[in-house]
Parts: sequence; C-alpha cells; structure tokens
Amino acid sequence: MHPDSSPVISTTRLGKNFGHTAALAGLDLSVLPGEVHGFLGPNGAGKSTTLRILLGLIRPTSGTARVFGIDPWAEPVRAHRDVAYVPGDVTLWPNLTGGEVIDLLTGLRGGADEDLRRRLIDEFDFDPRKKARTYSKGNRQKAALIAAFSRPARLYLLDEPSSGLDPVMDAVFRHQVRRVAADGATVLLSSHILAEVEQLCDRVTIIRSGAAVESGTLAELRHLTRTRFRITSSAKPQVLSTWRGIHNLRVDGTSIEFDADAADLGDVLDALATAGVTGITAAPPSLEELFMRHYGVQNTGRADHRSLDSQNSQAL
Amino acid sequence: MRPVLRLALLQARRDRGTLAAWILSIAGLGYAAATAVTTQFGEDHERAALISVAAASPAFLFLRGLPDGISLGAVTFFQGYSFTAVLAGLMSAFLVVRHTRKDEDQGRFELVGATQVTRVMPLYATLLLGTCANVVLALAVAAGFIGAGLPVQGSFLAGAGVGAVGLFFMAATALVAQVMPSARSANGTAAALVGGAYLIRGAGDALGTADPSLLHVTAAWPSLFSPIGWGQRIRPFTESDALPLVVIGAVAVILAAGAVMLRDSRDLGSSYIAANESGAERAGAGLASMLGLAWRLQRGSLAGWCFTSGALGAVAGGLGPVVRDALEGNPSVAELMSRIVPGDAGLVDLFTTAMLGIAGVLAAAAGIEAVLRLRAEEAEGRAELLLSVPASRFRWLGSTLAVAAITTTAVAVAAGASAAVVLTLAQAGGSNPGIVFAAALAHIPAALVFPALTVLVIALAPRWSSAAGWGALASALVLGQFGELLGLPVWLQDLSPFRHSSAMPVEAFNPEGALLMAAIAVVSAAAASRLIRERDVPA
Ligand SMILES: Nc1ncnc2c1ncn2[C@@H]1O[C@H](COP(=O)(O)OP(=O)(O)O)[C@@H](O)[C@H]1O
Ligand SMILES: [Mg+2]
Repeated sequence: MHPDSSPVISTTRLGKNFGHTAALAGLDLSVLPGEVHGFLGPNGAGKSTTLRILLGLIRPTSGTARVFGIDPWAEPVRAHRDVAYVPGDVTLWPNLTGGEVIDLLTGLRGGADEDLRRRLIDEFDFDPRKKARTYSKGNRQKAALIAAFSRPARLYLLDEPSSGLDPVMDAVFRHQVRRVAADGATVLLSSHILAEVEQLCDRVTIIRSGAAVESGTLAELRHLTRTRFRITSSAKPQVLSTWRGIHNLRVDGTSIEFDADAADLGDVLDALATAGVTGITAAPPSLEELFMRHYGVQNTGRADHRSLDSQNSQAL
Repeated sequence: MRPVLRLALLQARRDRGTLAAWILSIAGLGYAAATAVTTQFGEDHERAALISVAAASPAFLFLRGLPDGISLGAVTFFQGYSFTAVLAGLMSAFLVVRHTRKDEDQGRFELVGATQVTRVMPLYATLLLGTCANVVLALAVAAGFIGAGLPVQGSFLAGAGVGAVGLFFMAATALVAQVMPSARSANGTAAALVGGAYLIRGAGDALGTADPSLLHVTAAWPSLFSPIGWGQRIRPFTESDALPLVVIGAVAVILAAGAVMLRDSRDLGSSYIAANESGAERAGAGLASMLGLAWRLQRGSLAGWCFTSGALGAVAGGLGPVVRDALEGNPSVAELMSRIVPGDAGLVDLFTTAMLGIAGVLAAAAGIEAVLRLRAEEAEGRAELLLSVPASRFRWLGSTLAVAAITTTAVAVAAGASAAVVLTLAQAGGSNPGIVFAAALAHIPAALVFPALTVLVIALAPRWSSAAGWGALASALVLGQFGELLGLPVWLQDLSPFRHSSAMPVEAFNPEGALLMAAIAVVSAAAASRLIRERDVPA
C-alpha cells in the first residue's frame, strides 16, 4: 500500500466494555489522510470512548486501534506526537489563567506558533488573563480549541467541540477546521448534530450503540440529508407524489408532509412556488428521526432522547 | 422546614458510609483505650505510677492531656480524650466542606438552587446532619465506655465532650466554608484549626501545674482558647461539670449563626476571601513541563504545610525552658523520670522528640495530600487533556511524586530548623541544634512511605486512594500512640512505618530502619510507575 494513502486512523472490530455496558461493540472506522471525517452518533453511542481509545487513555476490550499505524495503548507517546485533542467535557486547572493553560498544553506538545496563538485568541474573543475557575463551559472549550489549533498537528481529534460555543464562535471554529484541513491535516470530528457534520466533513461514519452503521462520502449518504416539508396547499397530493426527489408523502388533515432529497430541492421549491402554497415549514430531519427511518430502531442510543432532540433543533 | 429535612436526608444518604466509618472508628478507639486501661492497668498502684510519670512529663501532657486521678475512667479520659476529640473535629469539618464549598465548586448547588429552596437551606441541612452525626457519635463513644465497664454517667459526659468538640468544628467549618474560595483551601483551613486546637491545648497542658501528689494537673491559660481544652474541663470521671459543654455549645451556635448570615449575603460560588480572578497572560518558563505543572499546583499547599510545621517546631523550642524547669525541686520525680527515659536524655530532649514525632506525621500527611492530586486530576477530567500530549504517564506520575517527596522533606526540614533555632535562642539546654535538626530529618524515610503507598493505590485502585492514604496514616498514628497501651502484638505495631524511624534525640539514629523505609518507599513508587500504564484513565 502506498504510505500516503494508508489510513491515519483505523480500527477493526473495536470493542470496549465498562462492567456490563458494552460502550463499543465491533466498531470499524477508517480515516484517510487529509480528510475531515465526521463521527456522527447520538449521545451514548460510543464516540468519546472511541476517541479515548485512539489516545491510548483506555485499553480496548477487543479488536485493534491504530493511529498513524501505531498502537496507541502500547506506544502512547509516539502515537501522540502529531495529535491535537479537544475533549468533549473540558476541565481546566482552576488556578491557572487561560493563557497559562494554552501555553502549558502547547508547551508539552513542543511550543505554540506565536503568531497563530495571538490570532486565535483574537478570533475566539478569548480573555487569557482570567483564571480558569471563572470560565464558562464555552470559554473552557475555547481554551482547549486555541491550544489545539495554535500548534500545527497532523491529526486533530475533536470531541463535540462546538457544543458550548455560540453561533459566532462556531463559525470561527469551522474556519479553523477548514484551515488545518487545507494545510493537509486529518480531522476526526465527533458530533451528534447532522448539520455540523454536513458543513465540515468530507466523509462521515455514523455510529450507533457502539458499532458503525454507515460510512461514506456525503454524496453517498445523500439520502440522509432530506429536508422535511409541511405545507398547506390546494395542490393535490397525487400531483406532488409525481415530483422527483419526494419521499414519504403523507396527508395530515389540511396539510401535507413529505421529505425532499437535497439534490432535488431546487426543483421542489420551483414546483411549490406554482402550486398555490398558503403555509410552509421546512426542517432538516433530526438525527433521531434518521435513525428511526433508516435503521428501524426505536432506541438509538442509551442517553436521553429529548436532550438530543432539543440540542438538534437549537443547532439547526 | 420540610425542604431542609429533605436536603438533609439527601446529604445523609450520600454520606452514610463515610460517617458510619468515622463514628465506628472513633467510638472503637475510645472502647479500645478503656479496655486497655482496665486490663493493662487493673491495679491502683499501676495506674498511680502511670499517672505520676505523665504528670511529671511535659511531653506526655502535651500529647495526651491532663492527668486527673487514678480511677479507670479518669485514666481512660486522660489517655484518649484529645485524640478522639481531634477525630470528631476532623469528621465534622470534612462533612461540612463536602456539602458546602465542595458542592459549590462542582456546581452541584446550581441544581439544588434552581428548585424552590432558599439560599441558606442547604447550609441548615448540613448543620442538621452534622448535629445528628455528632449526637450519634457522643452516644457511640458513651456506649463504648460503658461497654468497657466505665461508670455510666461519666461515660455519657465523656461522650458528650467528644460530640461537643465535633459540633464546635462543624460550626467553625461552616464559617470557614463561606470565607475560603475552594473546597481544598476550606478543608485545609478547617483541618489546621482542629490541629491548632490540639496544639494550643497541648501547650496549656504542658505548662500546667501538678498538685503535690502528682495525680492531678491543672491546665494553664492557653487551653482556654481551645475547645478541646474546654472539653477536658468536663472532668467526667472525677468532679464532673457540665458547664464547659454549655460554653462549647454556645460558641458553636454563634459561629453557626455567623455562617448562616454570611451565606445569606453572598452569591453562589463567591467567597469572602476572593481567589484572584485574573493573573498572568503567559505561562512562565517553568510551566512548560509536567514537573513545572506539578510544582505550580503544589507550591501553595507546600507553603501552608511548611508554615504549620515551622510553627510546631517553634512551639517545641519555645516550651523548652518551661519543660526544663518543670521538675526543679522535685527530686523524687526527677529520679522516676531518669529510670523511665532510656539513656540520660533530659526532659527537654524527651519533649523535643515527642514534638518532632508530630512533625513526622505532618510530613507524611503533606506527602499524601500532594500525591492525591493525581487522583483529583484524573477524577475531574484534567488528566485526560494532559495525557493527550506526547508525554508518558510515567512522567505525569513521576513529576507529582517528585514534588510530593520535596513537600515531605520540606515539612520535616521546616520543623527541625525552627525547633533547633528556637531551642538555641531560648537556651533550654538539651541536645545541640545539629542533632535536633537531624532528629527531624530522621522521620523523612518513614514519612515518605505514606505518599509512596498512596500512589501505589492510585495506580491499582484509584477510587480507594484517598481512603487508603488517610486510613494508613490514621492507623499508623493509632498503632504508634496506642499500640503499647492496647498491648497489641509487636508485629502489628511494627507495621507502622513510624516505628522504624528513630526517635532522636532520645534514641540513637537507626540506619537500618531508615534504609528499610526508604527502600519500601522506592519500591512502591517504582511499582506504581509501572502499574499506572496497565489501567484505563477513568473518564
Ligand atoms: N468510564 C465509563 N464507565 C462506565 N460506562 C461508561 C464509561 N464511559 C462511557 N460509558 C458508557 O459507554 C457508552 C458510550 O459512552 P460515550 O463513548 O461517552 O458516548 P458518546 O461520546 O457517543 O456520547 C455510554 O452508554 C456510557 O454510559
Ligand atoms: Mg461524548
């Protein structure tokens, strides 16, 4: 195999049990050099567990994990050499200032790029003079993101990194991901928000209950990104069903519900414009709906579904 | 009222195991002391000999308390009260911090605060829980004494004396928790208050005046400034007096009211001693390594520990002249002492030895506290961030261990140096300052065993590390202070590392013991460094 095309991350049949819970049950994951890879799954699906295994923090119960071809449990120091990590739940040293935390973390990785560090602090609108105990969740996350991005790495492991950021900061974050990707770095981005993954990622692996259920490019997963419409219209449902890209058409009293493929969205909108619509709502499908629709499961993860839903609708 | 009860029940449920362990241990210690006195010193003349030696020796008075007659109960109270009272104080202090400042640190209050509960209700609940715990403790101690055959009324009074000190420190800690900015600093301050109460009482007792029979000692004025000193004044098995209970209780109520007022007038998460909100924008050169981080995290604590042990050393030195003069004009006792103390060490040396023994315990405690940071880093999730860089766990653990060893050493050095200097200035006689300093250093190997064992537990069973570390220190203390009194087998007593360090200047330096302890510390630390690789870093 050509060295450049061998995966940066590869796991085969990765399993991890915590007592009686199987957090991972045979996960296969492959992340190629230079790609931004979305790692999508509901709460409790096993995303953080996977990242911890990739960092050599926990030992897999079964299967193998390789980062740059190295077993991270056996050789964590070598495996970490070019890795930047942002945990899902960032806790910092309450007595250190944000600036000190950034210097500490980058210092341990060999030192920050000073120019980059300054720019990031500026863009993230971060006050590095405050003690970490005074930071909100979003600010702690910013500190970890700045530390991760202010020294170039070959692999970025980001665990739901934007969950504490407001929309403006989220945009700064996406910009940084695109920047490091343009520089040729590989990014593994875990998330439970479909829209976030859609905006950033070249390829996506969807994980549910500790195993990958789908993996591919966004184009290949296009069927996952249908938009759900609900319209009030004088048009006949039978007419609508003849349009291209329309699925799951349903009549609900006076309104009609259907899903539309992203590729055909333009045509659908044109057609709607002439169909005498008096009311319309459109929403991307929540991840939970996707799971229910595509994998025929009620229980998509072990965690609280309502929080998943509400976080989704906020993010969308 | 109902929400307070509900909150108290909630807190009690979280605490039931911990509190049961504390109460059973304290009452068990009281029971063991009483049994030991009745079995080992069954005859009047045996107890009379014990008490008169103690009355004549400021070191004894400092460590134990006031001799007050030779009845079984009085001797038990003399032997055991100070220690059980200290333990009751620590139990109550940690209980309060767990449910006040620690909950605020970890944001648990925000959940409670969002329900229909007023600001002060959680504090009332904690005070209620602490009061109940101390009432149960008082009854348990009384039951232990009665079970060992001591008079019923005296036993209840003695138990109340222990519980009252617990109540006092519950209230004092409630106040401390409003003032200090973090659970760690609140725990440290409260524990220092408990230790201070013990030391102040010790000074008062050591300065006390013995009656001519040498069976009673009356404490000097300093002990009025210590709740433990007040507790001793109950004299439950001789001329019992409940007034001190009222005094301690009244002060406790005032302190608790102060805590409630302060709680009511501050924001959640704020504190009266504000921690600095801001600091340096850039890390100094020192903070670019694991070792630098370990040092940065420990340096404040280290200063606190060194200050405490330096103060202890100064007390040891400052009381030297008093100790020297204690037996002037009492040749019969002087003769008695010279028979008991091996070699020809004087009273001053005996006292210095005892005080530096406490410094050794402080050094061990400081080391345990330092390595337990590893556990906190892990449990609070910072280790995950730190261990994602290209640095091994070995370096992570090793850095903290090195800083812990420095801490232990520094605490011993501070005690030794200040004792040597003050003894010299006070011209108390006794051994020369070099020997006194060396005597403090002689405890370092044994003290290092504690952080090393604690770190081994961190590597093997991190959840248990705190209980194991502090439990080991408490067991060693009990073995050291009560092992002989309880007539425990020698091999069991020898399990305490402190048994292997030399009690200089009274004893000569014992290099085998020091080497053995150093070796155990090194082997445990090395094993921990290997084993830490073998387990998951908990999320
Ligand atoms: N240290 C742990 N001990 C016990 N169970 C755990 C632990 N870590 C994760 N789990 C369980 O494993 C599953 C996967 O968790 P996680 O990897 O954190 O999911 P995600 O990051 O996708 O939300 C969950 O059911 C979680 O409760
Ligand atoms: Mg997660």
